[in-house]
Amino acid sequence: MKGIVFTEFLEMVEREFSPEIADRLLVGTELASCGIYTSVGTYDHAEMIVLVSRLSRETGIDSHDLMMAFGEYLFRRFKILYPKYFERMNSSFAFLTRIEDYIHVEVHKLYPEAELPTFTYDVPQPGRLVLTYQSTRPFASLAEGLIRGCLAHFGEDADIQVEDLSDGAGTAARFVITQRDTLRE
Amino acid sequence: MSNIQQLERRLERERQARKAAEAIAEEKTRAIYEANVSLQQLNNRLEELVEQRTAELAAARDEAVRASKAKSDFLASMSHELRTPLNAIIGYSEILLDESEDQVQPQVRPDLEKIRGAGRHLLGLINDILDLSKIEAGKMDLFLETFDVAALLDDVQATVRPLMAENGNTFALHRETQLGMLRSDQTKVRQILLNLVSNAAKFTKDGQITLAARRTRLGAGYGVEFEVSDRGIGMTPEQLSRLFQPFSQADASTTRKYGGTGLGLAITRHFCRILGGDVTVASEFGEGSTFNVIVPDNDSNAAIAAPQPVWEQRVVGTVLVVEDGREGAKSLAEPLTQEGYRVIAAAAGADGLRLAREQKPDAIILDVVNPEFDGWTILRLLKTDAELCDIPVILVTVLGDRDMGFALGAAEHLTKPINPKELLRLLARVQRPEITPDVLIVDDDQSTRGMLRRMLVKEGWRVREAANGAEGLEQLARAVPAVMLLDLIMPEVDGFEVLRAVRQTAAWRDIPVVIVTSKDLSRDELEWLRGHAMDVFQKGAYSRAELIAAVRAMVDAARLASSRTVPTDRGEGKDVA
Ligand SMILES: Nc1ncnc2c1ncn2[C@@H]1O[C@H](COP(=O)(O)OP(=O)(O)O)[C@@H](O)[C@H]1O
Ligand SMILES: [Mg+2]
Repeated sequence: MKGIVFTEFLEMVEREFSPEIADRLLVGTELASCGIYTSVGTYDHAEMIVLVSRLSRETGIDSHDLMMAFGEYLFRRFKILYPKYFERMNSSFAFLTRIEDYIHVEVHKLYPEAELPTFTYDVPQPGRLVLTYQSTRPFASLAEGLIRGCLAHFGEDADIQVEDLSDGAGTAARFVITQRDTLRE
Repeated sequence: MSNIQQLERRLERERQARKAAEAIAEEKTRAIYEANVSLQQLNNRLEELVEQRTAELAAARDEAVRASKAKSDFLASMSHELRTPLNAIIGYSEILLDESEDQVQPQVRPDLEKIRGAGRHLLGLINDILDLSKIEAGKMDLFLETFDVAALLDDVQATVRPLMAENGNTFALHRETQLGMLRSDQTKVRQILLNLVSNAAKFTKDGQITLAARRTRLGAGYGVEFEVSDRGIGMTPEQLSRLFQPFSQADASTTRKYGGTGLGLAITRHFCRILGGDVTVASEFGEGSTFNVIVPDNDSNAAIAAPQPVWEQRVVGTVLVVEDGREGAKSLAEPLTQEGYRVIAAAAGADGLRLAREQKPDAIILDVVNPEFDGWTILRLLKTDAELCDIPVILVTVLGDRDMGFALGAAEHLTKPINPKELLRLLARVQRPEITPDVLIVDDDQSTRGMLRRMLVKEGWRVREAANGAEGLEQLARAVPAVMLLDLIMPEVDGFEVLRAVRQTAAWRDIPVVIVTSKDLSRDELEWLRGHAMDVFQKGAYSRAELIAAVRAMVDAARLASSRTVPTDRGEGKDVA
């Protein structure tokens, strides 16, 4: 997993909770990185799972909710860190449907070794997007958070139905995103 | 304080993270450097590859050029090898036919005609095959010149007339009065028309073949539209669909019945297209065929038919006929006028002397046959007059008076009844004896030389021969000929070099040179030759009459030029071969 996810996570913990909690997450020996992350490095994704479950223990908040919240936070950060990917994107559907053939392609140019999830999509009717997440890692919740962050970024109101496709493992999920004004009709 | 420890840990983590980031940055930098190096190497290798590939391509191209050059050299030399003996065969058969006409052996005529016919056919076939292979090799050069369309049509008409007789056909030429000049390849246009008209004549019996021509607008420019139509056997739609393909004839029986190879129309279409035009056909089986040819005018300034230039009637010379008036000067005058002489007649001795003084004729024909008409006195008076004694006199005598005539200063003599050909021949001899038509033949092929010599001698010209370019130059140094016939392909000093030397030497510069060659000329060569020679007879596509006519025109021109520049010293050098 790219170091940026870790550094952003820790910054979020410091900001949203406290530097003490962030420090406590990192102290201990289970982490191969010893809690030392740089945004340009690459680290075992299992460390992220450890960090989130520790945060859950520290805060008493469900891991899934934490992961989703982090996804929303991360999306806002992406907008600041990588404004380039937001050029000419004027809606959440425009953005979400370009993850695979544009954003991931660009990421691969910089990090050829990066293992990225795949997002396939379908538009069964106007105003509805079916996005399917598929990964070797269990980050469906993070993906959901990113999707929500995306909708929020474009100021859109939508309903998201999540269907787990991995027997609770979190490595695959289907998100049925329906715009609210479409629902009302 | 745990807060401080916590901050210390955090600081330590940040420091470590920075180091890790630096290490990564360093590694990336190295990776980028290495990527650049290998990119550079790839680039160099690419250049090497490109160089190598370019060299290979260049070699392949050179090889292809060599192969194509070898092929065209082969074609050129083959055409030369085949045409040279064929020209000799055709030329000799023409000479023999001519001789059999005036003389004995009428029984050999049909055989001679067969030889000539077969020779011409073979030559035509060789020319067709060479043309086609040149077209296919993309080596068919275009030689643009501006020519008179009406004159071309006359020429075509004259050429096809004998063909018409074979099947009892008649030939009609319909042409606009204002056809004007056309800028195109004259030789190819001529061949196109000859192909079409000869087909029409071949596939029509007892009918009329029409050749029509008119000037026409083509897009923004102009062109000439030719139409050859016949009322012959025609073609079925199926036959029409295969037309213009090489070696295609209507069916196998066509070959049996009409002969031919099926090359004519394929060449015709190629030529039309090379000229920027096209040929189309309309035909109905059993009804006849009409071929339509469009040839664009390459002269961008051309408009509808500029008025034709009127050729001045060239006056070859003035002849005074002094005669007793009983037969009238008419029988003598007619052949002379036809040949371009101006004829003045005098019916009395006194008139003759007066006219001779006034008109300064180039020659005088004097009748001394009638004893009552005192021709001898007139001859004596002419030869003792300082002003008139240089004018050559041809006597019309009875046989026994010949010596007396020469004694009194006559140049030549004739006996009655007068043979017009002989009269002209003598006139030509006496008129400018200092340039007795003297033709130098430079050709390495002995039988060609022999053939040309016989043709020219029959016309009353003196002939010198040279067996190669070097000998030719020696002959030129010995005496300047009236005309030189020059072959191109000769060992050591070739015709091109001879021509160059002639044009660069002041004394030789004005010698009219006629190229007689069986070399297959490229456009550049042809262009160069037309700039340096008076006429080019190519491919054996000329007839004896055409060559003779060209040489005659040059001899006449040379005569005329010398009569202007050399007004005196007549009556010398009667050494006629
Ligand atoms: N005027 C015509 N009338 C009828 N058939 C013609 C005419 N011109 C050409 N053809 C047909 O087209 C064929 C090809 O003509 P061409 O290429 O000139 O070859 P060739 O004259 O050697 O047979 C002829 O054999 C003949 O069948
Ligand atoms: Mg033919």
